Formats: sequence, structure tokens, C-alpha cells
Amino acid sequence: MRTVRIEECCRYMGVRGEGDERTRALAESCLKELEDRATPRYVMRDFPLTVDEAEGLVDLGCFTVHSRDLARNLAGCTKVLLFGATLGEGPDLLIRRYGRVEVSRGLAMQACSAAMIEAYCDELCAGWRSEYASEGYGMRPRFSPGYGDFDLSVQTNICDVLKTGKTIGVTLTDSLLMMPSKSVTAVVGLFRAELSSGCVAGDAAGRCEGCAMERCPFRV
Amino acid sequence: MSEVKTIREALAERILQCDGGMGSLLQAAGLKAGELPETWNILHPEVITGIHLDYLNAGCDIINTNTFGANGLKFNGITEYDLPEIVGAAFACAKEAVRKAGHGYIALDLGPTGKLLRPMGELAFEDCVAFYADVVRLGVENGADLIFIETMSDLYELKAAVLAAKENSDLPVFATVVFDAKGRLLTGGTACAAAALLEGMGVDALGVNCGLGPVQMKMVVQELLACSSLPVIVNPNAGLPRTEGNRTVYDIGPAEFADAMEELLEEGISVAGGCCGTTPEHMRLLHERIVGRAKGVISKKEMTIVTSYAIAQEITDDPVLIGERINPTGKKMLQQALRERDMDYVLNMALAEQRQGAHILDVNVGLPGIDEEALLVQTVEEIQSIVELPLEIDSSDYAALGAAMRIYNGKPLVNSVNGKKESMDAIFPLVKKYGGVVVALLLDEDGIPDTSDGRLAVARKILDEAAKYGIGQKDILFDCLCMTISSDERAALVTLETIRRIRAELGGKTVIGLSNVSFGLPSRPVINGAFSSMALATGLNAVIMNPGSAPMMQSYYSFRALAGLDRNCADYIRYIESAPKVPDPGGAGAPKVPDPGGASAPKVPDPGGASAPKVPDPRGADPAVQLMNAVEKGLKEQSVRLVKTLLEQQEAMAVINGSMIPALDHAGKAFEKGKMYLPQLLMCADAAKAAFGVIKEQMAGSGVTNMKKDRIILATVKGDIHDIGKNIVRVLLENYSYEVIDLGRDVPPEVIVETVLKEKVRMVGLSALMTTTVASMAETIAQLRAAAPDVKIAVGGAVLTKEYAEEIGADRYCADAMATVNFAQEVFGKSTKSELE
Repeated sequence: MRTVRIEECCRYMGVRGEGDERTRALAESCLKELEDRATPRYVMRDFPLTVDEAEGLVDLGCFTVHSRDLARNLAGCTKVLLFGATLGEGPDLLIRRYGRVEVSRGLAMQACSAAMIEAYCDELCAGWRSEYASEGYGMRPRFSPGYGDFDLSVQTNICDVLKTGKTIGVTLTDSLLMMPSKSVTAVVGLFRAELSSGCVAGDAAGRCEGCAMERCPFRV
Repeated sequence: MSEVKTIREALAERILQCDGGMGSLLQAAGLKAGELPETWNILHPEVITGIHLDYLNAGCDIINTNTFGANGLKFNGITEYDLPEIVGAAFACAKEAVRKAGHGYIALDLGPTGKLLRPMGELAFEDCVAFYADVVRLGVENGADLIFIETMSDLYELKAAVLAAKENSDLPVFATVVFDAKGRLLTGGTACAAAALLEGMGVDALGVNCGLGPVQMKMVVQELLACSSLPVIVNPNAGLPRTEGNRTVYDIGPAEFADAMEELLEEGISVAGGCCGTTPEHMRLLHERIVGRAKGVISKKEMTIVTSYAIAQEITDDPVLIGERINPTGKKMLQQALRERDMDYVLNMALAEQRQGAHILDVNVGLPGIDEEALLVQTVEEIQSIVELPLEIDSSDYAALGAAMRIYNGKPLVNSVNGKKESMDAIFPLVKKYGGVVVALLLDEDGIPDTSDGRLAVARKILDEAAKYGIGQKDILFDCLCMTISSDERAALVTLETIRRIRAELGGKTVIGLSNVSFGLPSRPVINGAFSSMALATGLNAVIMNPGSAPMMQSYYSFRALAGLDRNCADYIRYIESAPKVPDPGGAGAPKVPDPGGASAPKVPDPGGASAPKVPDPRGADPAVQLMNAVEKGLKEQSVRLVKTLLEQQEAMAVINGSMIPALDHAGKAFEKGKMYLPQLLMCADAAKAAFGVIKEQMAGSGVTNMKKDRIILATVKGDIHDIGKNIVRVLLENYSYEVIDLGRDVPPEVIVETVLKEKVRMVGLSALMTTTVASMAETIAQLRAAAPDVKIAVGGAVLTKEYAEEIGADRYCADAMATVNFAQEVFGKSTKSELE
């Protein structure tokens, strides 16, 4: 995951602009320490997909979800990837450690590991994109529970289907927090490329399109 | 095969076969996603019985009840069926199958709870033990032949399950763990760490299941066979799952599975079966490979291993360093920190020892007049939540020792037992129950023998007594004891001779805490270093020492290089390159000043540190102004240096009011105006915290009473376990001289209310990160309003807004940490000057 951008880390730390020299140095040093301690793992399975965009009803093959935003994201897709990814418990240990004894570094660890799990998911999706392209599929941007009206509770279903507890060590708390905290569950729609010619699916900007949080500072 | 044999007898005689997958067969039979498989014990008992019977007819010896997810978290009284019904029905199905087949052992199957334990997650260790205990008691009532704990990926949860099994039954316990293809647990532990923990706790067989197919499991199976003295169990998946249409299929068929398992049987496993995706047909073909195969002999592995959740530290001829610093004897600041439950001070010490190269950390919190049991448990938990090294739990209070061993995550080193009957009677049962390697002091009712003969006699006595509990020599580390040479010039020689003979005559492992040897002499580190080299050369396996002491570390690294233990002298070179170049005449080496900077492994460049091109050169400037600049810029090391200098010229209060508070105010204002961002503000806060540490110590040393402080409670609300935001607020408030009572995370409303009333606190800060936990913030506020109407409540967190904060009745929404400081100043009245009580 050499693709984690320092600017991204600084942004997660609440810095506007590219960050001053010491903040950037802090982020770099944290990323280095995180790289030794993160144990990225993922689990992914594909399922047949049926989308009723008008009703906002999505049948993911293994369970059904009501969500207009998800239906919009998956419109035109016939197949869906469910995946879970995590950096493991290492980053949480470092966040806890520095949160106790050196809070500036704790903040930086939090930010850098957040940037790192995003980068890891980007990397995974890029791999699948080219893999499925060879089968004639185009790929939509990934969409996670909690985006728009795609309910956070759907994480429970995704974790059940993927058995994330034993495949990648990810469990959910009663409040639906994923543990380890630097974990992601998401769905990715696949469409027959010839059906949607001209569709520029999966550009980075697309990730925010279905989200209702219009004032989100991270919105691209 | 005779049915009268117990499972333990059978295990000793032959290779046993477990059953295969249950969940995957239930899905094939129509179990829906989200449906709890255990309800089928009641709804479709014929299906469950049928699966059990198919496995027994395929040749399996052991069937696991359909109780993988049967626990009080999933069947809690609100659910349609309660736990006793579910477990009772599961046993009815299993018994019916055994009756029909005419053979079979019934294992009470225990899977993970699905919740992560603290500190990683939210489930308390004792709650976890209690959940398992309920199921174990039901298993006993229903006539289980054994308890099978499986698919565990967290060693801490595994420990809880084994404890529950042992405390609530006499049944044999089998336990299997999930590993990844690299042979690591999902929570980071190694196969060796898992085996050491399970053996220490006295299970009957241990192994691996799920996660992988039999081919990918080979490496981890070999590792387990190499380190386990117990029978090894292997229950793999039928390869990897994939989707075909709407169905999950596994890629290894019965014949291929049997072939791969045969290779593992050749390696010497004792129990074989299957997990997800395996079917009665897989088991039938496997059975053909097992029948007639003689059981291999399991050799006893004499490995001395202590573990944490992540690390298995073997104690070998390559000596290990046990850091001795976390021990309040003679350390005023640590004593004060422990009395005030100032865990950050202790954590900094632990991190410093880790950074300095210790392999194991001794933890002793014994102080007159404190509740040592509670404090030791808290200290061990806190250290384990941020440091991954194994710990040596050190106490002369048996209750404290037992309580800490119980909640310890791993197999601890235990300090200590000795040859007195009373000591052995108290300590060995704890070691047997919780597992551990125990330090054995070679003394008894007659005192410390002054000859090696006498000490060896005590060692033999201890070994004999330990054997009665089934504790082998590998789990004993003999402390050969070291008396001071200034009162007996032969004292060191006796110690060395004892080390040599324990190694040669008993084949035992040795440890000493050697600083005592130089007591009463000048330049003690010189003697300590030399004695350390002599002892290591004599065969010492572990040394309890201060890893901040240069002479000791020099002795250690030189010895390893000279003894051929350091390939290419790489460790020695690395040590020399990283060690401080200036000789340390104080010897102790460990900073007298609390060293919060010690925590940060890789240093962020501190431009003010050595040569400071970017920072305006403050030379010649007023030292108070220099300090102010350094703090404001977040230059931690420079701030510590400057505050020490300034304290030689000024009173502590003048330093606080003249430099520290202006720096914090200035940075706070810059942050509010958007001229400084959060990381910069926090670097400033960390620098201030470090400087305040120096000031605090100076004030304590000169007998100045504590500053009068207003007190604020901070907590992350129930259900929420992210606390970085709360920690940020805490550091800032403390820098502004408020005393923060930090209740931590996932804090129930009642606890917050109770603390407000008990401590008569006027302000509370609550944090919540998730939309799902804002409800418990509202509940907390409601309870606070009812019980303590005058208390002021500030709230913050990612999902909160000013409007929502008002709606749930908070006094103030604080968008960031500075806003909380400002609110505190409104509540308590802004005092620009700190006052003395």
C-alpha cells in the first residue's frame, strides 16, 4: 500500500491544504510504523444481482436491501461483489497507544490508518476491475453501509454472508462499529459493459454521488 | 472398539475422528441467511439427528452438538427460545443419533461469541467467561462426553472459554483455533503462542480448524506438532468457498480431502475431522485412511515459553531481558502515580522499557495501604492494551497474583514461588489453573542457603512439589538469588555456581535480578555490568534488569556477540549505533524525568532539537520566551530541556504563568482562527504535557503542595469505543490545569451519574462517534439531569451538531477540543493564573 497519499492523511487530521512540514513528517513517520503493523486481509464473494430502481429494492443474491441510494448506485448492474477488508488489530493498538501517551501521534495514526484502509480498498477494487473487465464487466464505485440511505445495519448481513469473524477477524459491536476499527464492508456493482456504453463508472468522484451528506467535508 | 472407554482413554490409544461441517449442510438443507442454525435443534430435530447419524455411520468417533452459536448473547430470553431449550434439544438430537449408530462421543460444541473482548472490543473478560460458563453447565447437565471449543481466533476469548470449561466441569477439553495461511491468528498470535496458552491451562488436545483447506494447513500443523506436547487436532474446510448461482460450494471433494489429510496423519496428528464444506462422504473416505493407522508417539517438548496475545517468547540459551522498572520500591514518582492511578506514567515506563530492548516486563505495584489486587489487575490490563510484550506478574500478595494471572491475556511469567510450603501451596494451584512459567526463588523456611548445594536442594524440593500439580520443569525458572558482595565476598560466586549446577545437574532454566550484588559499593553499575557478563557466560537464561542502564545493555549485547548468538554481530552493531554516545555516569540510565517522548518509536524531526534552521534562533533571548516558543511550536524535547533550565532560575508557578499558559493560549487562539490546525495544536499540547511533567516532578521534589484544580469528568458513552477525540480533549484540559476524571469508553450512564455524585463534579464532557451511540448520549444526559441538575454538560463527536446537542439537552456543543476548554473556563471562571492551594 505504497499508494497512501500524505495529503490524504493530513486531510483526515483536519488540515486544509497540503499540511506544514512537521505535520507531513508526522504523517510519514506514522505511515512507516503502520506499514509494519498492519495486516491487511480481505474476503470477497460475488453474487447475482437484481435491482428495482423504481422501488429502491436491491436483491443482492444472499439478502435483500431497501435503499434508493444503493439502487441508484447499482442501477444497470447484474452482478455484485460483497467484500470486507481490514488492516487488522495492529493500527488499533497504535492508535490506542499514542492516544494515551502522545495524542498528536494518536491523531495522526488514526488519520493515516483511515487513509490506508481506503487505499487498500482502492487497490482491491482496481484489481477486481481489471479481473472482471476481462469477462466483459464494467464496475461501479464501491458503496458501503452508512452511505446515504444504505442502512448501517446491513453490515450485519454482509458480515454474516462473508463470515468476516473467521475469515478476516472482523466483528461488529452492538452499536454496529466494526472491530478492528480500520475495516470496511462494501458492495460493488458489475454491469455488462456493452449495456451502458459511454458510462464512466468508478471514477473517484463517483463514490460520493449517492450520499445524502451534502455538507460532508470529504465530499469530492 | 469398546464403548466403555472414556474419551481420554481412547485418545491415548488411537487416532480419533471428529465429524465434518454442520452449518454448510444446514444451508444446503434450507437454512436461510440470518436464521440461527441452533433453532433447528427444536424446529427440525430430524435434520440435525440425521446429520449426526450420517457422520457416525461414516466412521466419526466424536460428534459436535449443534451449539456453535448457542450462548447468552444470541439466546437471551428475549429470543423465541432460551439457552437451556436450545442446548437441551441439541443434546437430544445427538443422543438419538448415538443411540441409533450404537457408538459415538458427544462433544458440547462452543464457538466464538462473535464479540471482541476488551481492550480491542467491548466484551469484558469476566462477562465472556460467564457466557461460556452457562453453556458448559448445560452441557454437563445434558451428559456431554467432552467440551469442544472451536473456530477461535482470539486467544483471550479462548482463555475465557477454557476457564469456563475448567471451572464448571471435569470434562476433557479439546480446543481448536483458526489460522491464516501464514500460520498467524487473525488477532496476530502465533501457533506456538496458542499451544503454550492451551497447554498451560491443561486442555486435553489442541489444534486447528476452519479458515483453510487441508493443503494450506500443512505448515501450521507442522508448527503445532513441533511445539505441542499434547495431541494435535486438525479439522480443515473443504478448501475455499465460492458462489455457484446462489449456492456456496467448496472446491475440495472427498477423495482429494482424504489424500491431503493422509499427509497430515503421516505428520503425526492425533484427531482428524472436517469443518465448513466437508460432508459425511468426506468423513467416510477420511475414515478409510484412519482405520488401522497406528497412533504416533507424542514427544514432550521442553520449551519454556511465556506469551502475550501477540508474542511467544521462548526462554532459551539466548538470554532474555526482563525489564524491572515497573516496581515502586524506591521510586517516589511511580509511587505517587500508582496511588493516584495515573496510568499514563506507568504506560510511558512500559513503552520506554520496550523501546530500550526488554523482552518481558516485570509488573509490580506493591505499596503499603493500597488495594493491590485491583491495582495490579488494572495495571496489567492497561499495559496489555498498548504494549505487546509478555509480562512478568510480580506480587507477594497471592490474591493479587491470582487475579492478575486470571485476566492476563496470554501465558504469563509469574514472580514468584519459593521453597516454603506456604508459598508452594498458594502458587502452584494458580499456575496449574491459569498456566504460566513461574520464577522459583531458591530459599525456604530456613532462609537463603549460602552454598550452591543448599540452593540445589531447594530447587529439587520445588520441582518435586510442582510435579504433584503436573507442572513440569519447563514451566519453572530458577532464581539463583544474588546477595551483596560488600557483606559476603563469596556471594557472587555462590550465585554463579548455582546457575552452573542448575543448568548442568537439573537441566533447568535460570534467572537472577542482579543489581543487589553491588549494594553498598560505589559506582554500582560497573559491578553490575561485570557480574551480568559473568552470569550470562555461566549459562544464565534470563536477567531481571533496567534496560535503560548502559553498562547492563553493553554487557548483554557484547555477551551475545561473543557467545555466537548474534549473527554477524548485527544486534550489537545496531545497539551501539542507537545507544547514547555519552557515557552515562549515573549508570541508572533510565530518565529520572517522566519521558512521554519515550513512547514515540520513530521520532518526528524536531527542528528545534539539534540544529534549528527553521525556528527563529532563540539564543540570547529570554529563556521564558524561548520556552514559550518551543511549547507553542510543539517541540517536545526542546521544551523539556528549556523548562529544566528555566526551573533553575524561576519558581515553578512563574514558569507556568509566564511561559506555559501564554504558549497554550496563543496556540489555542491560532487554532480557533484557523491559523493552526489540529495536529499542530496537539503537538503543542504534547510538548506542554512533557514540560508540565518536569514541573510537576520539581514541585513534588521541593514539597510544594498540589495545585488547586477544578475537576471535569470525561467519558465516551456506552456502546461507543473510539476514544481518540476524548483523549485529545483530555490532554488540552489537563494542560489548562483541570483535573480530568477519565472514565474511558463504553461507559454506562449509571457510572457517569454515580461518579458525578460521588466526586461532586460540576462539569461533564461526553463524546460519541456514531449515530448509533448518540441515543446513549441522550440517555446519559437525561439521567444526569434527573440526578444532578446543576452539572454542566458538554458534548462532542463526529456525528453531533449544535442543533442535535440542544435537542438532547446538552449545555454546550463543542465542535473541537479548544471549544471544550473555553466552556470549562466559562463554567469555572477563567483564571489566567494558576493558584496554589
